[in-house]
Amino acid sequence: MSMSSNSAGVSTSSRAEQNAAPIATAILRHAPDAGLDGILQKLRSASPSPLPVSLPPTVVIKPNLCDIVSWEAGVTTDPAWLAVLAEELRTIRSDVRILVVESDAISAYKSFRSCDETFDRLGYREIARAKGIELINLSNTESIEISLEGIPLPVLVSELFLEEFYFISIANLKVHGYEYMTGILKNSLGLLTGSDLTPMHPYLPRLISQLHRLCPPDLCIIDGRIGLEGHGPILGDPVVVNAVVFSNDALAADVAACKLMGIPPQEVPHLGETAKNLGRELPEVTLPADIQPHSFSFHTPDHRAILLKFANRRIHRSSEMFMNTWINRFLRFKSEPVKFATEAIPKLVRRLYAK
Amino acid sequence: MPSRLRLGLVGAGPVVERYHMRAIRAVPEVLPAVVADLDENRARQFAQKQGFARYTTRLEDLFGTVDLAIVALPNGAHAPVSCELLASGVHVLCEKPMARNVPECRAMIEAAERGGTKLCIGHNRRFRTNVMLAKRLMEKGIVGEVTRIEAEEGSTSDWARSPVYFDPKQAGGGALIDVGIHSIDLIRCLAGEFRDVRYHGNGTATTVESDAELRFRLANGAEGTLVASRTRNLQQHICVTGTEGFIDIGLWSEHLRVRHNKGKAFQKLPHLDAFVSKRPPQDPSFVLQITNFVNAIQGTEKLVVDGYEGMANVDVVTRAYGDGATSTESQGVSGSAAMSSAATQNRGEQ
Repeated sequence: MSMSSNSAGVSTSSRAEQNAAPIATAILRHAPDAGLDGILQKLRSASPSPLPVSLPPTVVIKPNLCDIVSWEAGVTTDPAWLAVLAEELRTIRSDVRILVVESDAISAYKSFRSCDETFDRLGYREIARAKGIELINLSNTESIEISLEGIPLPVLVSELFLEEFYFISIANLKVHGYEYMTGILKNSLGLLTGSDLTPMHPYLPRLISQLHRLCPPDLCIIDGRIGLEGHGPILGDPVVVNAVVFSNDALAADVAACKLMGIPPQEVPHLGETAKNLGRELPEVTLPADIQPHSFSFHTPDHRAILLKFANRRIHRSSEMFMNTWINRFLRFKSEPVKFATEAIPKLVRRLYAK
Repeated sequence: MPSRLRLGLVGAGPVVERYHMRAIRAVPEVLPAVVADLDENRARQFAQKQGFARYTTRLEDLFGTVDLAIVALPNGAHAPVSCELLASGVHVLCEKPMARNVPECRAMIEAAERGGTKLCIGHNRRFRTNVMLAKRLMEKGIVGEVTRIEAEEGSTSDWARSPVYFDPKQAGGGALIDVGIHSIDLIRCLAGEFRDVRYHGNGTATTVESDAELRFRLANGAEGTLVASRTRNLQQHICVTGTEGFIDIGLWSEHLRVRHNKGKAFQKLPHLDAFVSKRPPQDPSFVLQITNFVNAIQGTEKLVVDGYEGMANVDVVTRAYGDGATSTESQGVSGSAAMSSAATQNRGEQ
């Protein structure tokens, strides 16, 4: 895949996916005195712009509210985005219904973090009230348990995803302990309504790529005014970068974020997995001349140790499932031997023939 | 009314043991009191095993000693037994099919009205988790306007069947009234009433059909096919297709496959598979059915499947069979006599 870039940091390319709009990515320098309005004004003049030309009746915005930490720490999304985005979206469709969604979670300190408390304490509630935006705690919505290909555990997602909407994902520029970086793609983990995602961690790259298929963002915003290095994604240190990435493609946005943080995108497991899952290659992104990449530092445990831990969990789970299957077969055989044999033998024969 | 409702079981066969007893234990408002079966030995063993205080071979012993009863007898005995119980002030949960024909159903409804009692029909599938979710999603408009329905249920059954199941006069029909009526009930619940039905089955004047196919058109214009079998292993599902997507419901599993053409999740995924966890399947439908029945008796909830719902299902079946061609009316036969007749023929099988 090729991607061209002009001096304003706007780049375009085409996607391999059928009927997909061309990728438009803009990496813009943020002038602190201009505020978020200034950056959106720059975006409007970008060509082509990742902003939509028309909207369905509902827009869903997913900020990154992974913990109760103020946005200036580089950890969470600045609530001021809601106000500027609401105004922008209403110029496109005046009657648009805007929902901001997030789920309950387990915080960095291993304690339960209520999404509603996060909305309250980070100032989302006030802005939402002022701008006519609805805040939705996905963990409190009606959910369905679904299977995602390649994930051995069922996941709970809100029934909201069965409906039609335009999806905006806002992430921060952050390093991550074992995924190296967290951006738009990893932000989608917050779409799962279960609060404890620990059992999912051995399958993170696959899960993230499947969640991207479940709910691909239409507009991606990576707020790199203040990034986070060190003990990411929550306990790190803020770094002023003063850049914001906009794209209509999550993969391109995350590759741009990698470039800004000095991380080789091909080393980020979930980026490679997502590209493979979509049948694409990682897009090439060039930073504009007025934005210099930073070399974000990592304070991460030995990566090999983490992989070993996850491999161990996988083996444990596989052996548990294997044992359960055979115990289940034994119990079925013991209770109804004739039924078991009449059902199992044809299955076994079919399998052997198939092989 | 006592704080716990005293339960009587009429018929101590495998359906009760396999399904109803587990559900009864999960509803603490119900107290297992009396089990009635004309086979005294079976009634005694059942009562001892399942913790019933009494057993009997006479239906009359239930009058005044129980508040509600579950009637799980061969189809031909449903109406006469239920009518006697209902008219004597006992609330009845009658197994599906409600009866063999519409006049029998109507008699049951009238008996309930006379006795001031509740009549619930055991179409438990409505309480399955995936069916309830499917209904909710359809009410949200996920599939749009329903255009097509495909239903299939059938297996080479492992049940011990008494001869009454194969006798058109006693059973009222075969695969369609026994197996297919579940799908008929769900189709009515999800998509609306049947308008036209065209039936094809292999039944004769002396034996019921083992395979049935029903082609139908619903009141809203949607068309569909229902296949029910006692000889073939079919897909055990109902697929409802509409102008905006589809919902595929597992009949023997909690599985649900869904697609909404405009839905966000379906931009890159062809469909979503719900309820697929590897946990052992726990069917809550019998528990929820009895809970709903108990709540309805206590006046806190509306019955989900009342006599009119059960009668509408039987009406579809009898229209399919052709106005009683394979069923007979048995009004005037007493409940005890019907129990006796069923039990006599049942004994041959045990």
